[in-house]
Amino acid sequence: MDLRLPSKVLEHILSFVDSNEDRNSVSLVCKSWFETERRTRKRVIVRNCYAVTPEAVARRFPEMRSLTLKGKPHFADYNLVPDGWGGYAWPWIEAMAAKCPSLEELRLKRMVVTDECLEKIAASFKDFKVLVLTSCEGFSTDGLAAIAVACSNLRELELRECIVEDLGGDWLSYFPETLTSLVSLDFSCLDSEVKLSDLERLVSRSPNLKSLKLNRAVSLDALGSLLRLAPQLVELGTGSFSDKLDQEAVSKLSQAFSEMKELKSLSGLWDVLPEYIPLLYSVCPGLTSLNLSYATVQMPDLVELLTRCSNLQKLWVMDLIEDKGLQVVASSCKELRELRVFPSGAEGLNDTNVAMTEQGLVSVSEGCPNLESVLYFCVQFTNAAMVTIARNRPNLKCFRLCVMEPFAPDHKTQKPLDEGFKAIAERCKDLQRLSVSGLLTDKAFEYIGTHGKKLRMLSIAFAGDSDLMLHHLLSGCESLNKLEIRDCPFGDTALLENAAKLETMRSLWMSSCCVSFGACKLLSQKMPKLNVEVIDEHPLETRPDSSPVERIYIYRTLAGPRLDMPEFVWTIQKNPEIGVSHLAIK
Amino acid sequence: MENSNSYSPYSSSSVDSTKPSPSESSVNLSLSLTFPSTSSQRETSQDWPPIKPRLRDTLKSLRLRQRGYNTALFVKVYMEGVPIGRKLDLSTFSGYKSLLENLSHMFDTSVICGTRDRKHHVLTYQDKDGDWMMVGDIPWDMFLETVRRLKITRPERC
Repeated sequence: MDLRLPSKVLEHILSFVDSNEDRNSVSLVCKSWFETERRTRKRVIVRNCYAVTPEAVARRFPEMRSLTLKGKPHFADYNLVPDGWGGYAWPWIEAMAAKCPSLEELRLKRMVVTDECLEKIAASFKDFKVLVLTSCEGFSTDGLAAIAVACSNLRELELRECIVEDLGGDWLSYFPETLTSLVSLDFSCLDSEVKLSDLERLVSRSPNLKSLKLNRAVSLDALGSLLRLAPQLVELGTGSFSDKLDQEAVSKLSQAFSEMKELKSLSGLWDVLPEYIPLLYSVCPGLTSLNLSYATVQMPDLVELLTRCSNLQKLWVMDLIEDKGLQVVASSCKELRELRVFPSGAEGLNDTNVAMTEQGLVSVSEGCPNLESVLYFCVQFTNAAMVTIARNRPNLKCFRLCVMEPFAPDHKTQKPLDEGFKAIAERCKDLQRLSVSGLLTDKAFEYIGTHGKKLRMLSIAFAGDSDLMLHHLLSGCESLNKLEIRDCPFGDTALLENAAKLETMRSLWMSSCCVSFGACKLLSQKMPKLNVEVIDEHPLETRPDSSPVERIYIYRTLAGPRLDMPEFVWTIQKNPEIGVSHLAIK
Repeated sequence: MENSNSYSPYSSSSVDSTKPSPSESSVNLSLSLTFPSTSSQRETSQDWPPIKPRLRDTLKSLRLRQRGYNTALFVKVYMEGVPIGRKLDLSTFSGYKSLLENLSHMFDTSVICGTRDRKHHVLTYQDKDGDWMMVGDIPWDMFLETVRRLKITRPERC
């Protein structure tokens, strides 16, 4: 008797399985389940665009409607990956255009997207609905115009922190009068002014518009009229908040804000003047997300704002908030889940140190029981503070501490910050993401290796004494998926000893460490399923094996070495001495 | 724990070639320069602390506004031995290269960074502590923050 589930039944069951993790498990059961699953998967996520070829993905998932891709490694956000490294969207768009013309959604992160890519999208996918580009570059506003004019069912167009060649604000005028389906529009990263009348008309004919993030060039006055046209917004990113308005305009704007009953998320607020902060009071109680990272508002004004945000779950703010301001957050924002504090002093903005210390974070850890995600830039820190934070918040999932002074010890005891990070790793059993900084010895990493069993992503800068550090991490952290390291003193030995571990991880990045050219070659030979990329400006052919390389990027892949590498990226095939020379890479 | 931390964040790349072993702990941690980027948007960017380009740019322009320079940065430039000086707006230059080109043009001689020698005019600057320093050691942005005046030294004679 055939006990196999009919594929139609299985298909129906699978239509309820949304999570890709579950679908991946389903596909491993047997061949027929693999087949049924792959034919029904609509949402495909590829977290390293070089781990697999676009053709393989298109072949496997013919019914794909949504594709998410990530390109460059995370440290590219901080200028550590040279221009021209890679991460090109074109091969993917080309492949999908040929094999999956029903594609509706494309979400790209840290990829190079050209105008040709955008034109191809506009021309190839008839029912294209969603384009979200995060930290992408390579395109101009002309490409945006191509999308605007052609995608008649466009729902979302979001440019998050992209580097765009801005040729002017005309692109917005290309949205046809017939386009009424817009739900989300984010052009906050563009510089040029768009025509206000076009923007107003677009907003008026978009009844489903829920999210609107303007760029800095949109004036405060313009904001008023836009809000009156879209009081239903759930997410708002304002433009510049600093024009001088007359009394009538101010009260009109205040009125507009008070009409926004659905608003949950607020960002933008560039250059916000203290006298305009009260305009926001009416929306504060409803806010769950507030991004003040571009608002150089001082503590007293911030406090006035934050005392009113009793439902806030996510707060991004500059360290101008000071310890005092964070105390107010601790007592007013009891629902807080995520806190990010950015350094106003990073570019010398404040010549004297801002009055924000480790104490601020301790207060928030005490007062906010749901706090689970932290990114905190601080000049110095103490072990005691971290121990307290860990004790208060064992539910932390993400702890990223950036002590800005490299090698800074505990400023009270002058000891390394080993004990502090030990407490975090030990107590926060669900910790998935950790960034460490300050003066750290190998001991800190021994603790992390011992306790950080759920740790998936780890970032390290200017730390450790020796190869032991890397060894502790690679042998101890069972769930380790992404490891990124800069300016640490190791580690051929640890790398080669733990080579097998690297195949269980998505990627490893090491820059300005002590990894030798010889070790890279060895590793590359030993582990064929890894791409070992050496990214170095100096010609490698003439270098001795013992010479350290500037950067390495190692990732597991089914696609083999990539063919689009620039001059300064090298993998084993480039070196004829090794013998695998028939794949001549430029 | 012995860590010879000669931390000068922007000295040229020279990671110690001796391989560290677990027992050995004196490692020279001179940090390397970021690979020079071809993108003009990133020409003078640093990579520490780790903040994204947009935030870094916003802070930069805020800093310049705060200092009341209105983004202009005029300093006096003297050629050693010449009593009359010139005035230069450093904010118009993108980096050391364009500064040197301009000075060479202005003073009609080749001006370089680096140690004094017999042939060339070498550029030095006075920093905010009042000390005279060699131009070119620190990143351009840091230089702009600390420079107070410039002096072009004469070539050495024997």
